[in-house]
Amino acid sequence: MKRLAELKQAGHKAFVAYIMAGDGGIEKLGEQIRHLQERGVTAIEVGIPFSDPVADGPTIEAAGNRALSEGITLEKVLDEMQRFDFEVKVPLIIMTYLNPVIRFGAERFTQEAKKAGASGVIIPDLPFEHRQLIEPFAKQQELVLIQLVTLTTIDSRLEEILKQAEGFVYAVTVTGITGSRDELAEEVGAFTRKVRELSPVPVYAGFGISKESHVEMLRDDVDGFIVGSAIVQAFHEGRIEDVEPLIDAVTAPHSV
Amino acid sequence: MTRVKICGLMEEQHVKAASQADAIGFVFAPSKRRVSIERAQELSRLANNDMQRIGVFVNASYEEIENAVKTVPLTMVQLHGDEPDELIQRIEVPVIQAFSIRTPDDVEKLNNSIADYILVDAPGTDYRGGSGHVFDWSLLENVNLDHSRLILAGGLDRDNVQAAISQTTPFMVDVSSGVETDGRKDEAKIQQFILQAKGDSMERTKEKTIDPVGFFGRYGGQFVPETLMKAVKELEAAYKDAKNDAEFQKEYHHYLKEYVGREQPLTFAARMTEAWGGPKIYLKREDLNHTGAHKVNNAIGQALLAQRMGKRKIVAETGAGQHGVATATICALFDLDCVVFMGEEDIKRQQLNVFRMKLLGARVESVSKGSGTLKDAVNEALRYWVTNVEDTHYLIGSALGPHPFPTMVRDFQSVIGKETKRQILDKEGRLPDAIVACVGGGSNAIGMFHPFVDDEKVRLIGAEAAGEGVDTERHAATLTKGSEGVLHGAMMKLLQDDAGQVQEAHSISAGLDYPGIGPEHAHLADSGRVTYQAITDDEALASVIEMSRLEGIIPALESAHAIAEAKKQAQSMTADELLVICVSGRGDKDMATYAEKMEGLS
Repeated sequence: MKRLAELKQAGHKAFVAYIMAGDGGIEKLGEQIRHLQERGVTAIEVGIPFSDPVADGPTIEAAGNRALSEGITLEKVLDEMQRFDFEVKVPLIIMTYLNPVIRFGAERFTQEAKKAGASGVIIPDLPFEHRQLIEPFAKQQELVLIQLVTLTTIDSRLEEILKQAEGFVYAVTVTGITGSRDELAEEVGAFTRKVRELSPVPVYAGFGISKESHVEMLRDDVDGFIVGSAIVQAFHEGRIEDVEPLIDAVTAPHSV
Repeated sequence: MTRVKICGLMEEQHVKAASQADAIGFVFAPSKRRVSIERAQELSRLANNDMQRIGVFVNASYEEIENAVKTVPLTMVQLHGDEPDELIQRIEVPVIQAFSIRTPDDVEKLNNSIADYILVDAPGTDYRGGSGHVFDWSLLENVNLDHSRLILAGGLDRDNVQAAISQTTPFMVDVSSGVETDGRKDEAKIQQFILQAKGDSMERTKEKTIDPVGFFGRYGGQFVPETLMKAVKELEAAYKDAKNDAEFQKEYHHYLKEYVGREQPLTFAARMTEAWGGPKIYLKREDLNHTGAHKVNNAIGQALLAQRMGKRKIVAETGAGQHGVATATICALFDLDCVVFMGEEDIKRQQLNVFRMKLLGARVESVSKGSGTLKDAVNEALRYWVTNVEDTHYLIGSALGPHPFPTMVRDFQSVIGKETKRQILDKEGRLPDAIVACVGGGSNAIGMFHPFVDDEKVRLIGAEAAGEGVDTERHAATLTKGSEGVLHGAMMKLLQDDAGQVQEAHSISAGLDYPGIGPEHAHLADSGRVTYQAITDDEALASVIEMSRLEGIIPALESAHAIAEAKKQAQSMTADELLVICVSGRGDKDMATYAEKMEGLS
């Protein structure tokens, strides 16, 4: 995770890719990670499928259902990651809803995630108030618990959350669920600027990011972008090369 | 709960590691842990707003202390020297005075201190301000000492802190060297110390929350995406305000009386009493409410609250359609915009209610995902709420969801139990021996049970849906077969597989096939105050016929589960006992199912 801060210091933008672990079979997981790191992404969020993904839109929900029908579980994903026979060069972050973690055991989860080479964890239905369910165990394993902030997060709460932020901050750029969108609301720029001023760690924009025009709009106000649905759908349809211009648009050196 | 102070902090990461503590300490006296006022100020910025910031001094001047208090700023001052009482009195923030304890005589000094708190430590060696040596805690037993001002220090670590707390019950424990490795603070040890001091297991951690009001034992909480937190917190504040506002309560009860038609009778069921040959049976007649079930009690309360919050758009989920109809009804009454999410499967089973909602002007959204039942409808309603949260209120229909919903729904439904209590006292001059209600999410049951929970002699029994049997894969018996988990914003009991995927629930009754149970029920089950029994589809259907023919009351399929369980309870009860059944709704909506399942009747 240190390299995320270094990247920011060097003035480069980060591209974080989200994939649904086991969409298309567990053997696709390593393949997809290897492909993305070779294409120059900064970090990868490894999504765990869940039966009731209320923060997700249709694309990721459908991918999760495909993975579930393949019998994918949190345990299988962590096992598979421990068996990777290639060098993982980018930080891997486990993104999962809370219930599979509770069922697996919070302490065991952090231990196994660490062994699997993860650097961090994102749990969208674990609010800041209840983070002590996971955070003490994550700390023991030196995993960072990434916090989300949104357009509806009030200022006093934003300050509290950002004070504790580690790794990076996930700035949710839509009031809604995940999924590609044509346009982002005008107020998003002001929001990410505010978050960036207060945040001790890099600020990445996610939810709804699927186009180069989104990247252009927010480039100066964030330290990176998180792209999920567009990548998940491209992998599913076997046309990941379609997303490559978007990766390049973020990561290429940018002259002002 | 005993508070925790992590003392002698010098580095950023250690302040962060201490975020779950209640206090952090900065040493300004000569010590290997000494920090400058400027450094303490920097570190202090990283701590939560509600964290106590305590400065440690040895024989410092008033000016020096005051400067630190103002600059850092400090919320408490801890003195380890021979400070005179005059100095202690002048300090504006609360003062902790430290004492070294060797003998019982030393304990006497503690009571003479004029400081707000007294800190006891083992005698120092190198520097004043604590040595890390363990002192004999038993010296504090059997002496006259106010433990609510006691702060325990000296040789505490993650292994002994629980024992120290249980032996001395201090206001706070203070640790420094006990969370260090090779003379430097250790993040893991800090976290482990806090966990141990506050309860070492997940179980205990769960019980601790910033707002314990949102939990029933270990169940409840606010497990929702960050986008919803603002709305959930606003609702929490608005409900707290409304609950204590006489005008709001008056308006709510006005609509219950003039529009819903309350109060509903507690009907003596003479023929059922005779047929079952046991206790006297009373029926609480929620079936007589306008719209046909108890759901309207809650819908009115929440719709009034939404308007009070300036929200004129309502989203709701519905299973059997009773909550959807109640919500659509109230939205028509108050001219509110209404969207109801309903599973595809339930739409098929409950055609009449779908038509009623549409007639009332609501938009009914069919949910084809998952099993197309209540759980999937809640998912879609939550997604809709996340997207439209700024102007929309989510009118949850059961005692489920993130705090304050389970509490609020219970309160609005408690009118059921309150009326029942008053009525049974009028009729019989005493409380009933047992009360039975059906549970899906659990709203009519919690409304009925809540006013009786403290009346320990009243047995409370919840009837959940066993579907085709609890040993088959087709049931909704969450309390019989479920385990702890998080769904739809709350820690509760769930039907789930080993990987934590929520399973589909099955019941002939569309209102009971939910794979979770409200957090308060989960807690009442754990505590043993309420017992929960599972009733199969067939048992429920048999009860529909029995009550229809004995009392001329056609119950809803949900309520029929309570009736079937009541019949079982009646077997072991005597004629001088009283049994109340909550008839949560009427059976009109279930006629298609009854016609299909009871072919032999035609």
